[in-house]
Amino acid sequence: MTDEARLKALMLRGLAGEAAAQGQLLSALSGYLRGYFGRRLGAGAADVEDLVQDTLLAIHLKRAAYDPAQPFTPWAYAVARYKLIDHYRRQGVRQAVPLDDAGDLFAQDNPEEGAVRRDVSQLLATLPERQRKLMIDVKLHGHSMEEAAQRSGMSVSAVKVSLHRGLKALSRKVLGEAAKSGEPHED
Amino acid sequence: MKTDALIAALAADTAPVPAGAVGRRLRLAAALGCVGGLVILLAWLGVRHDLMPAMRTPGFWIKAGYTLWLSLGGALLIARLARPGGRAGPATPILAAGLIAIVLLGAVFLVAAPADQRAVMVMGHSWRLCPWRILVIAAPVFAALIWGLRRFAPTRLTLTGAAAGLLAGALGASVYGLACTESSPTFVAIWYTLGISLCAAIGAASGRWLLRW
Repeated sequence: MTDEARLKALMLRGLAGEAAAQGQLLSALSGYLRGYFGRRLGAGAADVEDLVQDTLLAIHLKRAAYDPAQPFTPWAYAVARYKLIDHYRRQGVRQAVPLDDAGDLFAQDNPEEGAVRRDVSQLLATLPERQRKLMIDVKLHGHSMEEAAQRSGMSVSAVKVSLHRGLKALSRKVLGEAAKSGEPHED
Repeated sequence: MKTDALIAALAADTAPVPAGAVGRRLRLAAALGCVGGLVILLAWLGVRHDLMPAMRTPGFWIKAGYTLWLSLGGALLIARLARPGGRAGPATPILAAGLIAIVLLGAVFLVAAPADQRAVMVMGHSWRLCPWRILVIAAPVFAALIWGLRRFAPTRLTLTGAAAGLLAGALGASVYGLACTESSPTFVAIWYTLGISLCAAIGAASGRWLLRW
C-alpha cells in the first residue's frame, strides 16, 4: 500500500473518532517529520524534536481543516512546511523553502534508504556544528562552495579546507567502525 | 515532553470531526459579520428613502450585482485558502471577470453620457465618503471572518488575509448599497472598487499577524 493510501485511511478513521487510528497516524507521521526537519535543519539539531511535536499538535488540532475529498499527504506536507517557515521566521532567518510536492516529506519510501539516511545523520552529528552545516549544505543539498561560504560567513578557501577535513574525519569513522565489526573480539 | 507521550495524549483526545466544518464555520462568520454591518448602517446612515423605486432601476442592480459577484469570488477564495496548501484556484478568474465587467460597463456608460454629465458620472456626490463608508461597514465582517479562519489552518497568511479583506469589503459594499444613492456604474467601478481594495489591502497587511497558528 502506498503512503498516501495507508495514511489517508488512518486519517479518515481518526476523523471518525477512532483514537487508536489517530495514534497510529501521528506515530507514523512523527518518523517522516523527524526526517524532513532533520534534512532541513541539520540532523541532530536541537529544534528538530520541538518542530516535530509542534507539527503533530497542529495536525491533530487542525484536523477539521482537512477535506476528505483531497489527498492526505500534500495536506500533511503543507502543515509541516508551514511550521518550518514559521520556525525560520521566529529565528529571524529569511530562508526560502521550496514549494515542492509532498514527496519531500514522504521521501523514505523504501526502508533501506531510510536506514542509510539515518546512518548518515548519525555520522554527521559527530562533526562540529559549523562543519556539519557545511557538509549538509554542499554534500547533501548540493549548494556550491561559494553559496555555502556566503551563508556561513567563511571564505571559500576556509570552506574547502573545512569540508576536506570533515570528509576525512567521516571516512576515518566509517573505516574504523567497519574494522571494528570485522573483529568480533573487540566488541 | 517526550514525543511518544504527546502522541498518546493527542490520540486520547480524538473526537469525531463532522464533515464540511470549514464551510459551515465560514458561512456563519460571514452571516454574523453582515448582520453587524447592517446594524452599523441602520444606526449611522439608514436605508435610502427611495429603496423601493430604486430597486426597479438597472443602476441599483449593476451595483448590487458587482458587489455580490465579488463576494462570491471572495467566498470561494477563502474556502480554499483556509486549508493547508490551499491555492486560489478558480476564484481568481471569477474575481477578474467581475472587475473587467464593471470597468467595461463604467466606460460604456461614461462614453454614452453627454459631455456635461461625465464629471457627475465619475464623482457622483459622495466619492469622498464612499470608500470610507465601505471600510467601516466591512469592519465587523472582517472581524467575524478572522474569527472563523482562526479555527482553520491557512498556510499563505498574507494572501488569506487579503481574501478575507476582499470578501469583507465586497459584503460590506453590498450592505452599503442599501444606503448609497449613487446610480452611475462609472462611480461604482471607481469608488466601490477602491473601497473594497482598501479592505483587501488592510487584510493583506494584517493577515500574517491575525491568522498565525
